[in-house]
Amino acid sequence: MNGFIVKNKKSVIILLLFTTLFWLVTVQVKKGRFTILERPVLAVSGFLERIIIWPFNTVVSIGREYVFLVNTEQENRQLKEEISRLRIENGVTSELLLENDRLRELLNFRKLQQPSTIAVQIIGKELSPVSSTFTINKGSNDQIQKDLAVITADGVVGRVQTVLPGTSKVFLLTDPGNTVAVMVQRNREEGLLEGKLVNCALKYVSYYADIQEGDLVVTSGLDGIYPKGLAVGTVTKVVKQDAVAFQTVVVEPAVRFSRLEEALVLMK
Amino acid sequence: MKPYVYALILMLIIPFQSTLLNSISIFGIKPDLALSVLFIIGLLTGPVEAALAGISIGLVQDIGSASLFGFSGLTRGLVGLGAGLLGTRVLDITNPVIVLFLAIFSLVEGIFISLFLQATYGAVPFFTIIAGRLVPQAIYTSALCFFLLRLANRRDILRLLKRRDIQKEI
Repeated sequence: MNGFIVKNKKSVIILLLFTTLFWLVTVQVKKGRFTILERPVLAVSGFLERIIIWPFNTVVSIGREYVFLVNTEQENRQLKEEISRLRIENGVTSELLLENDRLRELLNFRKLQQPSTIAVQIIGKELSPVSSTFTINKGSNDQIQKDLAVITADGVVGRVQTVLPGTSKVFLLTDPGNTVAVMVQRNREEGLLEGKLVNCALKYVSYYADIQEGDLVVTSGLDGIYPKGLAVGTVTKVVKQDAVAFQTVVVEPAVRFSRLEEALVLMK
Repeated sequence: MKPYVYALILMLIIPFQSTLLNSISIFGIKPDLALSVLFIIGLLTGPVEAALAGISIGLVQDIGSASLFGFSGLTRGLVGLGAGLLGTRVLDITNPVIVLFLAIFSLVEGIFISLFLQATYGAVPFFTIIAGRLVPQAIYTSALCFFLLRLANRRDILRLLKRRDIQKEI
């Protein structure tokens, strides 16, 4: 036996390593992810990502600012038209907000507070078959904390997972380990949204709930991470099976993660 | 291969994968640089060294992508082992046909991961992932590897790095 081990020392070591890794993975599936070495590795990779992305971004921004000015005039006109439209909408919304405040006061409800935001740049994207994460260019130096919501104008991006002084790691909606408390905007039906890598699934939706393709899914605010009413995605598929108490609801995220360059972090 | 080459690879693989490769992504699909590099290491060195390199690269990726620690270490280690075994049986590693094996490795690894996710988190859209992500990524990764091999061959890097330890392992 000893002779065999000595003879095949390298193969035995490799086999032992594979077995250990397999055991580590099974332990984490049961007890949760290990975060050892996470901070030093992310600190080094985050620092290098900033260095690598800097010249690239500089070249791209020079290109955008000076070379691709072809359609600027037309775009400017369109933006001015959009500003005018948004101003009108904003006036109406402000009126509604004031009315809402007055009514809430009458009913003795707590006043709604607008959360402040920090604009962040996405400096790294890791959309691997195992996980979906982004690296953003701000960290604890900019008051970023764990579990803050990350959003764009289109909807929810994800939540902050690991915070370092200059960078942070963001878990996307589609990450298999990520869950968000949501509801269907049309009928306020609640559920739990879980990442499925390429899209998301709405869990714990009763068989009898009225969910239709095209329904907009928004945050319910019950998880304490995302404020209520942020767009999450659209229902693309509903499957009902007779013997199962819950429906299978597939949700396509509102945000196109592959094209994302900037986002906002909602401060608490 | 020399330790400093590995140190450099381990240090730069995540930053490069998550930054510069985004600029060449097509419909959100980008090539897997780590897998391409690992495949080349396997072809140049041998099964044991490539397996160890795969485990190291995988572990760094696990930490970098905040996923289960050891999972990519395991899958990448197996890919390294496979590439190393392939390397012992191939004479001309610059032959374009060889990158087909990388596409197979990439696809098999992806399917293994998807099955694991299916078992762990349940109801992952298996066929959507295969058709929409794994197959295009396998093709794109092979194309990148082909380009890297051609580039390295033209610059005589391959001759410099070439199988120093392979004879010992055989």
